[in-house]
Amino acid sequence: MRRLYLQVYLTIVASLLLVVLTGGFVWHLVAGMPPFNQPFVVAGEVIGELVPPVSASVQEQQHVIDRLAARLEADLALFGANGEPIAAAGRPLPAPKRNAKSGGWLRTSAGPAVLIALPDGRWLTARLPLRQRPSPLMLIAVLGAVALAVAVAARPVARRLTRRLERLQHGVESLGAGDLAARVKVEGRDEVAQLAQSFNQAAARIESLVDTHKMLLANASHELRTPLTRIRLGLELVDAQAERKAELARDIAELDQLVDEILLTSRLDAATSLDVREEVDLAALAAEESARCEDCTVSGQPVTLRGDPTLLRRMLRNLIANASLHGRPPIEVTIEQQAGQAVLRVRDNGPVIAAEARERLFSPFYRVPGRAGTQGAGLGLALVKQIARRHGGDAVYEPERGSCFKVSLPLR
Amino acid sequence: MDECVLLIEDDTRLAGMVSEYLGKAGYRVLHADNGARGLALHEREPVDVVILDLMLPDSDGLDICRRIRAQSDRPILMLTARGDPMDRVVGLEMGADDYLPKPFEPRELLARLRAILRRSRGAAKAQDDKGASDVLRFGRLEIDLGARDVKLDGTPCPLTGYQFALLLALAQHAGRVMSRDALMDAVKGEQFEAFDRSIDVHVSRIRALIEDDPRKPKRILTVRGIGYVFAKAQD
Repeated sequence: MRRLYLQVYLTIVASLLLVVLTGGFVWHLVAGMPPFNQPFVVAGEVIGELVPPVSASVQEQQHVIDRLAARLEADLALFGANGEPIAAAGRPLPAPKRNAKSGGWLRTSAGPAVLIALPDGRWLTARLPLRQRPSPLMLIAVLGAVALAVAVAARPVARRLTRRLERLQHGVESLGAGDLAARVKVEGRDEVAQLAQSFNQAAARIESLVDTHKMLLANASHELRTPLTRIRLGLELVDAQAERKAELARDIAELDQLVDEILLTSRLDAATSLDVREEVDLAALAAEESARCEDCTVSGQPVTLRGDPTLLRRMLRNLIANASLHGRPPIEVTIEQQAGQAVLRVRDNGPVIAAEARERLFSPFYRVPGRAGTQGAGLGLALVKQIARRHGGDAVYEPERGSCFKVSLPLR
Repeated sequence: MDECVLLIEDDTRLAGMVSEYLGKAGYRVLHADNGARGLALHEREPVDVVILDLMLPDSDGLDICRRIRAQSDRPILMLTARGDPMDRVVGLEMGADDYLPKPFEPRELLARLRAILRRSRGAAKAQDDKGASDVLRFGRLEIDLGARDVKLDGTPCPLTGYQFALLLALAQHAGRVMSRDALMDAVKGEQFEAFDRSIDVHVSRIRALIEDDPRKPKRILTVRGIGYVFAKAQD
């Protein structure tokens, strides 16, 4: 398996290699490098012909060295085969080391010098004036070319690495946004590819779970209610006291209500948007729902909004049922239009709910502690909040003289 | 009596109970436990009404409903589970005459069955007489636009022409709050009754005739500050 760090490492190594190759290539073009020792040997042969032979007098040798030094504007020194000085011109130069075998560069206090071996065993040391250093502009141009080549070559590699990560990020984001069919392309065999594969597996698992959940929801209502219907019919067919029957019928209705609320809660949880959106006259809905309840009045302004009428009806029914069950009559429902929002308030004259209980008021299966009423499973207000949120609004509790539940829904 | 009911329901125990219950009420019940058998029985037997479960093992109840409707106009009562994604609207669009959510009150099943049968007989008669098809129906209340009369549970309610126009204006906008001005506009063409001027007085008179308890109205509702609304969803 190719690992990401390996890829990074190889990228760096490849870049360095490229630097070397490019540098070498450019150098080759500019300088054209000959074999290392050759110039010294050639120089030795030439100079050997120029200087007088070993047998010549010291004056003669000194004379030739002086002439050469003047012509080359260089410091020169001629040494015997054993390193003894024979002649010198200009500033002094060090003698060749005893173990020196061939010519080469010398480092002296006055700058670099060359040591040249003559064919007859003598040594010539020369220090040329430093006039022809390689131009700094040329160096900058060479390095610039190298840097450019590295940058151009490294970019697609780095881009490939990050682009796959970006794609993966997009995939995760769209899954988070609710697109359960989101998958990413698996490229390569490294960690990023493995991550993409793991993401795809996780997404597939989530999708199948949600599908199962939806299937379950689609059938649960029917499957739970058919036996309930049987019980209800059976009750009608047996001989029993009318009172008992009525009581059992109430229990069945309560169970049915609970099934309904649980299923609706799960369905709203599973859904990402509203299935139905039509024009709804909120005041009319409120009037219809409050007619089911004693001592409940509706007032306000006409407000129509786009929403799911069944859900909004359910929300109003739950709010009014909550007020009549846990509050005290008279119940007042008001509807207003404020700053692009429909504001619905359901007030009752019951006791104000304690501050610490208010936060949990809208959580499922929560009941205010110490309240006498045991009716309801505590799903009513949770549904109210869910439905309000599904419509882009919210439901809050406002303590007034009594309790007041306020729902605000955007009009558009 | 001895009217014949075709029950298409996959739950045999429930079907047995419904058969027993309806049998006691004087109906003959034929039972089919899947859609195919139901359609076959429907073709063979002279049934008066079909009770159809929405969820069947072999096919979708809505599909069966459509196919029965294609063959005949025998009334169909659809059984659904409340909160089913298949809502009543869909069922009614597919040609069902009424729908009843499970778990239902047995007596309600009986009442709806009777209402459907009565209506289908009435419709058949009306078709013989021709016309008179424009009837608004809200639960137990019927508003006949042709004859300009109103019936509650089949009993005529003696409304004046002005009151009828007012009720009609409300009923045609069921589910919408109507302001008093809008109502005045709607009944402008009607002949004024000299002694009553206010809409509120007329509304209370209509209520006295069509509401079960005029002090707790369920059909024409008041919204303070706006006006009146005719309830869209009635029992």
